[in-house]
Amino acid sequence: MCGIAGIIYRDSQKNSRLGRDLLRAIAPLESRGPDSCGVGVYRPEVRHSETKLVLRGTAQVDWQKLPQVLNGWAKIVETKQIDLDCWVRLELQNCTIDDLKVQLAKHFPQVHLQSSGQQLEVYKEVNDAASLFAKYNLAEFAGSHGLAHTRMATESMVDNLRAHPFMVAPDMCIVHNGQIANYHKLRFELERQGIEFETDNDSEAIALYLRVQLLQGMTLETALANLSQDFDGTYTFLVATPDKVGLVRDKYAAKPAVIYESETMVAIASEYRALLNIPDLDPRGSFREPDAGEINVWSVGSSSTKTLPARVISY
Amino acid sequence: MQQPTVLKETVIDCEGLSTQEINQRVKALAAEGIERVKLLNPAGKHNLAVGIVEPIEIEIIGSAGYYCGGLSSGLNLEVLGNCSWSLGENLMDGQIIVRGNASANAGATASGGRISILGNAGARAGISLKGGTLIVAGNVGYGSAFMMQQGRIVICGDAGDNLADSIYEGAIYVGGNIASLGADAKLEPMTAQDWQFLETELNSLEINFAEYDFKKIVSAKELHHFKAQDWFKFKDAY
Repeated sequence: MCGIAGIIYRDSQKNSRLGRDLLRAIAPLESRGPDSCGVGVYRPEVRHSETKLVLRGTAQVDWQKLPQVLNGWAKIVETKQIDLDCWVRLELQNCTIDDLKVQLAKHFPQVHLQSSGQQLEVYKEVNDAASLFAKYNLAEFAGSHGLAHTRMATESMVDNLRAHPFMVAPDMCIVHNGQIANYHKLRFELERQGIEFETDNDSEAIALYLRVQLLQGMTLETALANLSQDFDGTYTFLVATPDKVGLVRDKYAAKPAVIYESETMVAIASEYRALLNIPDLDPRGSFREPDAGEINVWSVGSSSTKTLPARVISY
Repeated sequence: MQQPTVLKETVIDCEGLSTQEINQRVKALAAEGIERVKLLNPAGKHNLAVGIVEPIEIEIIGSAGYYCGGLSSGLNLEVLGNCSWSLGENLMDGQIIVRGNASANAGATASGGRISILGNAGARAGISLKGGTLIVAGNVGYGSAFMMQQGRIVICGDAGDNLADSIYEGAIYVGGNIASLGADAKLEPMTAQDWQFLETELNSLEINFAEYDFKKIVSAKELHHFKAQDWFKFKDAY
């Protein structure tokens, strides 16, 4: 068991509540797994030439050396040190995020690039939701949408690297509840395509599979439909991009999800009781559960939902 | 003048109480001779009214979480809201009515009693049912009645894929469409007794049985003993 939650606002007036709503939705789900907690929040964009990084550090990392390490690769605009970690706003100089990652790994092998992008910031901690939110002051975070996760580790060890959300690409992340049964086969196939795994957590295969699909030019919707064909096992997972949030349920409906939709927001959680925690639920809003094999994709800030027909199970 | 019957009734506000405290209070009240208890502010808590073996009427005002009413015998439970996974799991005797929807595994392994859901039920409704009756006024999801062993399931609406996969005994009645049947399940003609049963059961819920085109599904019993030549009849998961 794990708990997952997602919040999407259709009315930007509500954006200031994002952090608090995510905390309200994820905290009750800790009974499904208290091993670690994590969030991915989509906050207002930085300037189009800039990128935000969330870097996970250790006591050995001297963040004062960061400008020197990145010299020639990126121009640092702003940094904020939070405990051992560092939030950075920078301008890349004729290089990609992947190049930057290599440069970081060379000089700061202890540092993990937790997120990158113009909107997404990922924070996670081997701790409960209240502690995670307090450490990074997440309750005050405003944004258009976000994902949250509370983990019961089943497939790999409990540490920060293996905590969710997992990054797919800059500004894209997933949270997953379940187990991927054909993980080793999928990993072998993805590695043959040149994809590098950072962990032995099976949920990372979802993120990296989507990465390959999107790099091949698939739409998010097509990539999710392909994934539900190729992935065996039990899963309910959420994926977020700057303008969309997708929810995928396996063809046996083995892992739970409840969706609340109103004119002003969409909230998704593993359990109904987590949604009851969100204030001013609209009585005209709807609660429903996705069907086996159902894929939902919501556009952020709009009232449209695309429900793909449940996959036809052929024998 | 005849005195009206007054049930001895009490109210428990669930807010701030643990599930254990709530269930212990219900049991203590039943032992005191209280005949009816109302649970307020259930807030989707798991395991409400679980393991109740006293003949007490319980009314839950709001929505309940996992395993509501499970492992009970002889209770009379009504939920004015929705229920999450595994409603009435392993119910032995008694009555459960949900005036809302129930999530996956409703009535799982129940061996007696009657569970009625006036809304829809999710995936695997009546999985491994061992007796008693499960009634769903709306639709049921994927894999319902999987490995059912006895009892009866009435579905007024539609059934999802793989209905009645690998059932042993018992009967399933579906008023709407069946997306697909599972391995070793077959349709059987409705008999007068079947209609009589549906009339009695559904009338008590104020549902007009005659509005539905009920179909009966039972086990074909061809796969109870494995024979290699039957391999093709087993529906493979992948």
